[in-house]
Amino acid sequence: MNVLVKKLWRTIWRTKGQFLAVAAVVTVGIAVYIAMNTAYYNLDRSKELFYRENNFADYYFHVVKAPQAVVKQVEAVPGVAAATGRLQKDVPVLKEGGGRATARLVSYPLPMAGCVNRLHLLAGQMFTGHPRSGAVEVLVDPQYAKANGLRFNDEITVVAEGRRVSLTVVGTATSPEFVYPMKDAASLVPEPETFGIVMLPLNQAQQILHMPGQINQVVIKLAPGADEEKVAEQVESLLEPYGNLASYPRKRQLSHAVLQAELDGLLTTSRTLPVLFLGIAAAIQFIMLGRMVKAQRLQIGIMKALGYGNRQIIMHYAGYALAVSAAGALLGSLLGLVLASTISQTYARYFNLPEAIGGVNARALWYGLVLSVSVGLLAGLTAARGVMAVNPAESMRPEPPRGAGQTVLEHWGALWRRLGPAWKMTLRAVARNRLRFGVTLVGTVFAVGMLVVSMFANDAIDYILQRHFYREQSYDYLVRFTAPVKESELLNIARLEGVYKAEPLLEIPVKMHFRNRERDDVLVGLSPGAALKTVTGVDGRPLALPGEGMLVSSRTAQKLGLRVEDRVTVETLLGIGPARRAEVKVLGVSRQLVGDASYVSLDLANRVLRERGLVSGVMLRVDPGRAAGVEQALNDMTAVSSVLSRRQELENFQQNLDSMIYFTAVMVAFAVVLGFAIVYNSSVIGFAERRRELALLRVLGFTGREVSGLVWRESLLQAVLGVALGLPAGYLMVLGYARAISSELYSLPAVVYPATYLLAALGGLLFVAGASLLATRGVSRLDMVDVLKNRD
Amino acid sequence: MAQKVLVKMENVTKTYVMGKVTVQALREVSLDIYAGELLVILGPSGSGKSTLLNILGGMDTPTAGSVYFDGEDLSRAGDKRLTRYRRDEVGFVFQFYNLIPDLTARENVELAAGLVERPLPAEDVLREVGLEDRMDHFPSQLSGGEQQRVSIARAAVKNPRLLLCDEPTGALDHRAGKLILGLLARINRERGSTVVIVTHNTAIAAMARRVVRMRSGKIAEVAENPSPVPPERIAW
Repeated sequence: MNVLVKKLWRTIWRTKGQFLAVAAVVTVGIAVYIAMNTAYYNLDRSKELFYRENNFADYYFHVVKAPQAVVKQVEAVPGVAAATGRLQKDVPVLKEGGGRATARLVSYPLPMAGCVNRLHLLAGQMFTGHPRSGAVEVLVDPQYAKANGLRFNDEITVVAEGRRVSLTVVGTATSPEFVYPMKDAASLVPEPETFGIVMLPLNQAQQILHMPGQINQVVIKLAPGADEEKVAEQVESLLEPYGNLASYPRKRQLSHAVLQAELDGLLTTSRTLPVLFLGIAAAIQFIMLGRMVKAQRLQIGIMKALGYGNRQIIMHYAGYALAVSAAGALLGSLLGLVLASTISQTYARYFNLPEAIGGVNARALWYGLVLSVSVGLLAGLTAARGVMAVNPAESMRPEPPRGAGQTVLEHWGALWRRLGPAWKMTLRAVARNRLRFGVTLVGTVFAVGMLVVSMFANDAIDYILQRHFYREQSYDYLVRFTAPVKESELLNIARLEGVYKAEPLLEIPVKMHFRNRERDDVLVGLSPGAALKTVTGVDGRPLALPGEGMLVSSRTAQKLGLRVEDRVTVETLLGIGPARRAEVKVLGVSRQLVGDASYVSLDLANRVLRERGLVSGVMLRVDPGRAAGVEQALNDMTAVSSVLSRRQELENFQQNLDSMIYFTAVMVAFAVVLGFAIVYNSSVIGFAERRRELALLRVLGFTGREVSGLVWRESLLQAVLGVALGLPAGYLMVLGYARAISSELYSLPAVVYPATYLLAALGGLLFVAGASLLATRGVSRLDMVDVLKNRD
Repeated sequence: MAQKVLVKMENVTKTYVMGKVTVQALREVSLDIYAGELLVILGPSGSGKSTLLNILGGMDTPTAGSVYFDGEDLSRAGDKRLTRYRRDEVGFVFQFYNLIPDLTARENVELAAGLVERPLPAEDVLREVGLEDRMDHFPSQLSGGEQQRVSIARAAVKNPRLLLCDEPTGALDHRAGKLILGLLARINRERGSTVVIVTHNTAIAAMARRVVRMRSGKIAEVAENPSPVPPERIAW
């Protein structure tokens, strides 16, 4: 083996702590790069593939009802590549055990080829339009099937048009629009036990829903290059006579929006974190090798005297960085693959994507290696440039004392004079090693910031949970009726044994118009002084419900450019009866974390509909001991469409938190690795540089404790500054992250709890302390005799 | 004249185990150092003089034998006691000065002054070594001779009973070296500190009343010099 290579190995062995520390940072950087890229690439690819193969719609149009023939007209609109008409309706499911669920009936023309939003059969067989048995064959989404233990040929009973209808399950299927089968934007997470997609042939749906020859939805595929807005306008005007209820582009389709938010989050992470980690790793290596070259001045001089050239020696030192990078890339790739597979498994659990999500992304592996090695080599070569400046003859003479200078602080005479020599030494050492201190500080700041970001997800979720479940909606059950009923009929429910309180509500899907803009929204009428639902303002404080006027949703306000005192036109989209238009004054802006609605008094909501005393649902608070009985009674009422249980919602939500805790733990671990590694390395370097000086202090009569105190001062400075800057940096990172994944349908509140800051600060102090302690444990073993020897 | 013994070494042996080799650095060395004397220890490299100095300075303990300082046995003392000893009783002057680069001349001296209860005023001591104009300079801004003068001031500011100098002129030119020796002689004379100078430079021996010659870990000879020469008149 080449002697220089042998020397390199020995150097690595001697500095194994530092080597491992930097390699760990590279490892994390590469692991995150590979994991996130692989996950992003796989998820995006299966999404694209699935969307393409199943002809995912570009635009959705909901109408009250329209003759099937209108689809041909829509298809003729320039810019429309394909159009499919279908029926979609949410109907109650009567479960065998007496429970309720909601089935979203979605129809498909047979044969399905050429249709927009085709189905992908996962298990069982495709339904037929006219089975010999006379049954209604349906496919259900796999989550619902699993949660409800449905098997082939099982029957489910739904209530449609006031009649019970039996549907026969012939298999499970999914479609691009059901990748994340959430009921509506007001749901936090999918609720597979109580909400399912039921797919069936169009002719069957028409029969069940009593809409022969009719459809209530048109989904279209745009021709390449078509102007989406323009086409949408034309289709809308074409559908105008049939009662436009809603129309929206793919990006506002719920399942797609959630999937896209996940992809955006992945992309943001995969683009920022690895850069951060590799950058910091490169900076540490740069400093480490620069220091090594300086410390080995004599050895370099000897090598030169023996006839080694600059290039060989530089390569020798750069080789160290190369070894770090290679080790980091290797470990990072392994860790990255493990992480990628975990992430993919999680996605496979949450998203209905039939194409395999797993798979090794060879390109990411290759890029990771190239990235790591080139960054390492760059840092190594730059740092090892110092080799060229070494003159063999000079190198053998002792080095003059390193230059020191006044620091900025010294201009504040009064303050400076008060500092003892120990603090002066520390501050001047920091000033002299500005680069090292700076790099370490940046690393600490990011590590602390990352701790904040890692734990922030928990805060945000908890905040949503607290606000949504405990402050904004304090009802135990939300009961919705199949059609609006007279308020007096609520007595049947209010009188049920165990019901403490019943408060009516009237939900009306609407389109709000203001100037030339419009937006779909839900108008919710509540009785003034409703206690079971609190409307919250943008500032997070509760808003009183006005008798006249509306508390408009912040999203609608933003989209339409609304301000308080503006008058908006509200157009009802109920689907039954004629569309009504009314002018309503905006009296406040409400902000919902989950879902989206504008609030008015029950009375005003009725007036908008030109009705009196109508309600569409009721909120209940019940005696916990009798909840089961109440639930049972509600489920037995045919007019009830759905029963939303807060307890059930909460349970559902908690189940979805498991994977988040896992990722939080991984991120916290990464932050700690980063912080620990950089502080450790910097401390080892600083300690090595000052070893002689510290030993001298021992000789002069300083106790071991006093010398340790000196070393600790620098760490303390580092920790305090790192935490002080790291916490605000963490908040900025949180803001950036929250912004990156927020969309019109989906937003993450940038809420960080004080406890998170406290934990992050504590974590920061701990890793700085731990790393410094590990790096400077040699203080007690300083060789005093060494000081008296000639310098080597 | 019956002089008071400040340091008494009895049969001091020091063995180092370096890997598989055992090195006997000192072999049964016995030596009395008197209070207030200026002693020069001469010897070539490897003679054991540095080991002797380390033990005298409380940086190392003998493998066998005893060292008494003012009657107290230091050879069995622990780290705490030895630190106390170095702090209160000993001043060091090194060949390569060993100043703290991040502290100015004044601050280097103050650093040592802070260790004892009744130090001499730092500025006075710096003035005595002729550095009144360079007190706020950093070591990197001082010549070797000046750095060594700071180093002497740092040792002297504690007003130690024992001043140990390891090749104090070893890195200096002739003129600067003589200046340093003059300062050491003055401290010995005026403050009454016991000064021990370890060197391989035989010319320096002329300034001491007693000269210890070492060879191969043993004291080869202790020579009395009835008429010491002032350092200014030494030449090498």
